Amino acid sequence: MVKVKVVERPPADLVVQSWLPELWKGMKVTGRHFFVNLLTQKGIVTSQYPEVKRVYPPRTRGKHRLMRREDGSVRCVACFMCSTACPADCIRIVAGQRDDENEKFPVVFEVDFIKCVFCGMCEEACPCDAIRLDSGVHRAPAYTRKDELNGKEDLLSLGSLSVARQGGDLK
Amino acid sequence: MPTLTIDGREITVEPGTRIIEAADRLGIDIPRFCYHPGLPVAGNCRMCLVDTNRSPKPVASCWDPCQEGHVVTTNSPRILEARRSVLEYILLNHPVDCPICDQAGECELQDLYFAHDHQASRHPFHKHHKDKARVLGPQIVYDAERCINCTRCIRVCEEVAKAPQLVQVQRGERAYIDVFPGTQLDHPYSMCTADVCPVGALTTRDFRFKCRAWLTHGIQTVCGECSRGCGIRADVYRNEVQRLVPRHNPDVNQYWACDHGRLAYHRFETGRVAAVRIGGATTDYAKGVREVAEALPGAALRGVAVVLTPWMTDEDAWAVVTAIRSVAPGATFAVGGAAPGAADEVLVLADKNPNRNGLARVLADLAVTPVALDEIVAQAPALGALIVFGAEHAKAEALAGALARVPLSIVLAALEGPLTAAARFVFPSTSPYETDGTWVNEQGVVQRVRRAVQPAGDVRDFAVWASDLADRLGQPLPAPARASGGNP
Amino acid sequence: MTLTFVLLTLAKIVGFILVFCVILAAILTWVERKMSSIIQDRIGPNRAEILGIRAFGLFHPIADMIKSFTKEDFVPAGANRIMFFLAPAFALIPTLVVFAVVPFGPGDLVIANLDSGMLFVFAIMGFGIYGVTLGGWASASNFAMLGALRGAAQMVSYEVSMGLNVVGIFAVFGTVSLTQIVGAQGHLLWGWLPMWGIVVQPLGFVLFLVAAMAENKRAPFDLPEGESEIIGYFVEYSAMGFATFMLSEFIEIVVIACIAATLFFGGWQIPWLDPTGTAGGWITVAQVAFFAFKVLFLCWFQMLIRWTVPRFRYDQVMSLGWKVLLPLSLANILVTAVVLALVA
Repeated sequence: MVKVKVVERPPADLVVQSWLPELWKGMKVTGRHFFVNLLTQKGIVTSQYPEVKRVYPPRTRGKHRLMRREDGSVRCVACFMCSTACPADCIRIVAGQRDDENEKFPVVFEVDFIKCVFCGMCEEACPCDAIRLDSGVHRAPAYTRKDELNGKEDLLSLGSLSVARQGGDLK
Repeated sequence: MPTLTIDGREITVEPGTRIIEAADRLGIDIPRFCYHPGLPVAGNCRMCLVDTNRSPKPVASCWDPCQEGHVVTTNSPRILEARRSVLEYILLNHPVDCPICDQAGECELQDLYFAHDHQASRHPFHKHHKDKARVLGPQIVYDAERCINCTRCIRVCEEVAKAPQLVQVQRGERAYIDVFPGTQLDHPYSMCTADVCPVGALTTRDFRFKCRAWLTHGIQTVCGECSRGCGIRADVYRNEVQRLVPRHNPDVNQYWACDHGRLAYHRFETGRVAAVRIGGATTDYAKGVREVAEALPGAALRGVAVVLTPWMTDEDAWAVVTAIRSVAPGATFAVGGAAPGAADEVLVLADKNPNRNGLARVLADLAVTPVALDEIVAQAPALGALIVFGAEHAKAEALAGALARVPLSIVLAALEGPLTAAARFVFPSTSPYETDGTWVNEQGVVQRVRRAVQPAGDVRDFAVWASDLADRLGQPLPAPARASGGNP
Repeated sequence: MTLTFVLLTLAKIVGFILVFCVILAAILTWVERKMSSIIQDRIGPNRAEILGIRAFGLFHPIADMIKSFTKEDFVPAGANRIMFFLAPAFALIPTLVVFAVVPFGPGDLVIANLDSGMLFVFAIMGFGIYGVTLGGWASASNFAMLGALRGAAQMVSYEVSMGLNVVGIFAVFGTVSLTQIVGAQGHLLWGWLPMWGIVVQPLGFVLFLVAAMAENKRAPFDLPEGESEIIGYFVEYSAMGFATFMLSEFIEIVVIACIAATLFFGGWQIPWLDPTGTAGGWITVAQVAFFAFKVLFLCWFQMLIRWTVPRFRYDQVMSLGWKVLLPLSLANILVTAVVLALVA
């Protein structure tokens, strides 16, 4: 059951209807803000953006990055887990074959930042620690929709080495 | 007729029926790997163990025939433990490379692991490594690590394709599947081995790494590559056919389909007629239909000939004949179609057209007596209009010559060819994967063809084109025909 | 009419109207933005800079001016070009002319010492309505026309009660000349209380202020223009035409402050000090400065009201004008008349 809280309406008596006491109350509020902020600047919440930048919180996600193996190749095995988990359908992968034991790798790995909602589902779905959403690099707007597509090279350039093993350290 | 009880439910079956078949009829699920209803029983995976009152030990339900008074239990703690143990053994050396395995999502091993085992590996040593990505033939790649040696593929080759090309070599944990030295897996049903493979050991080179199984949605349709009309499922992702797999149809194709039919969708990926053309210049669909409608009544005075294709659905045929006869009552009709080809004893038939049977029935219903194709070619110089449906005609060169001699020449086809080059009016039409309707195969089985892919641009079904033409001519077709046309 | 008189009058016009009032109006545009921002816990405009000096955004009025001068002066198709360009002038000029009769200091420190004083003010301010209606009509835009009609109806309605409000002042001081009203406010009531208008006519002051703000079309009565949300009578104006409308609005704030200070706050009078205004020297300077202070305070007060009170609905504006202000002003006149008759 939804709890309904009934807000009591004060009776609109002559004092209220005359407006003046209520106006006086309102002007006390605005006047207090005026003088406090004029003299002490205590309440001001503006941050002077280009000069003063806010520190991002430590869990900021930012753009995706693709991690590398020790030999420098991309960790991704093109399993499509991220694009399956993606609620915005913003990841496009074309898989290809490679000749070592890893067998499969992404020929194309594209994230469409115009669609991405930065929810982190791809990171959670990834079984290989290949995609991470922790670069902290802000997604800058682009002039064309095509520029919003970030390919494998772009995402790898943000990436770094990962030595994680599938299944963790458990035998 | 033995009567037995499975999990407390009674069933009477024919003598010789296996317990697992009886359980399937009751809807009781018994896990299995090596058992396949279309193949002889091997009984090697031990996954289908059940308890009976006739045996102190669990028995393989795929092997044991039903007997009178049999009492079968499929879910006792002992059976559940047996399944768990069997799965643990099967998974002992399994690489668990599901992320790169194409079978993931439709893998029986994956499903049964989550249903019956669901524990971490207790194997403390290194896993046994075997060959990966071993090419067995033009269509099939084999991954020995993933293989559980159920031998379904061997039985498919032997029993279905009658081509015993696969064999199991080595023993125990070293066992794997291989072709004989110097040969390869190249019989016309080789892709069925990948279908029956319960894990990702055998994969088709066509679908390998292309798309994940769970992303596709399957459309139940019919193969058009010969007059057998095998039931197939078109797996579609992002409006593209990713693969075709056989669909069980006991009246037509059982569980199987030939490699050629399963790769046929590639034929419609390139060389498509992209837009409506008049005299070689691209124009829009409405204008094309309008000009045809303006020219056709005049041409009908000299005579109209129509070449139908046995690829068209019954609905297409009905709409086309009705629309054209409304403006040219004396039009002559002929049936073209692809030339006969090779046949085999399994599924492939010589007639390479899917609906010759259905087309003949529709024409008979409409009291049309088709003339021979050569007759129309011979008449060509005297004709006012010649309308050819479809691109695949055995006598395409002769037809192209006839088209060039007719003042109003119209071709409706999905693929470019000599006919589309010769005609003045060219309309793009749907491929078999873009159309919707009914085909009748050579045995007389009526089957529904479903639209798997939405056609692009001005591509239309023959029936839609005929209906639009009839509208333009001021003689609209009856409503059901328009509905069945299914304008995209 | 001597040359000295002409030169003196010109000096007063330049000093009072152009320097004090117009500059004050320009600065008020900055004050309005800055004040709204700090009331709303923001910093407000602070980016315009000259040689690296930002001066709390004080250069923004200059930037606004340059922008207004350089923007395209757009005339909509189908507009009456002559009236379209004249309308801003119609809005601006009456507000400037009103200052002629406002005594900003004792003695001769008034540009035109008219006996008709306050009546002149009403007459001239009545012209302001032409700017609104012409601007809306000449724009050839339905929205501007609707805004103009709203504005005209509102100004006409509040003109009535504003006129009636000050009748009480006329009755108490027995004159309509602003100079004489200010002089009369130097008297003391019961020997100690300065006889300012607000003391003898408190209700009159409240009603006058409300009516004057409605006349000026400022929040909470800004329905005819409604800066961004409602489309008003100058919706088709750009560049200097728009700037002139805005400037006239800000000058009118100063006008209202001047008239209110003159009628209700004793004009240049400093309580208990030189009520006749004949002392001269530094006392006169102090009196002019005190008048300026009163004007500034009343400007600030109008802005504070603006950022406190939400906008009225149009029917509320009309019923407030006709059903509340008008009866109250009539009652005010009646009570004043009775009291005056009893005292006499």
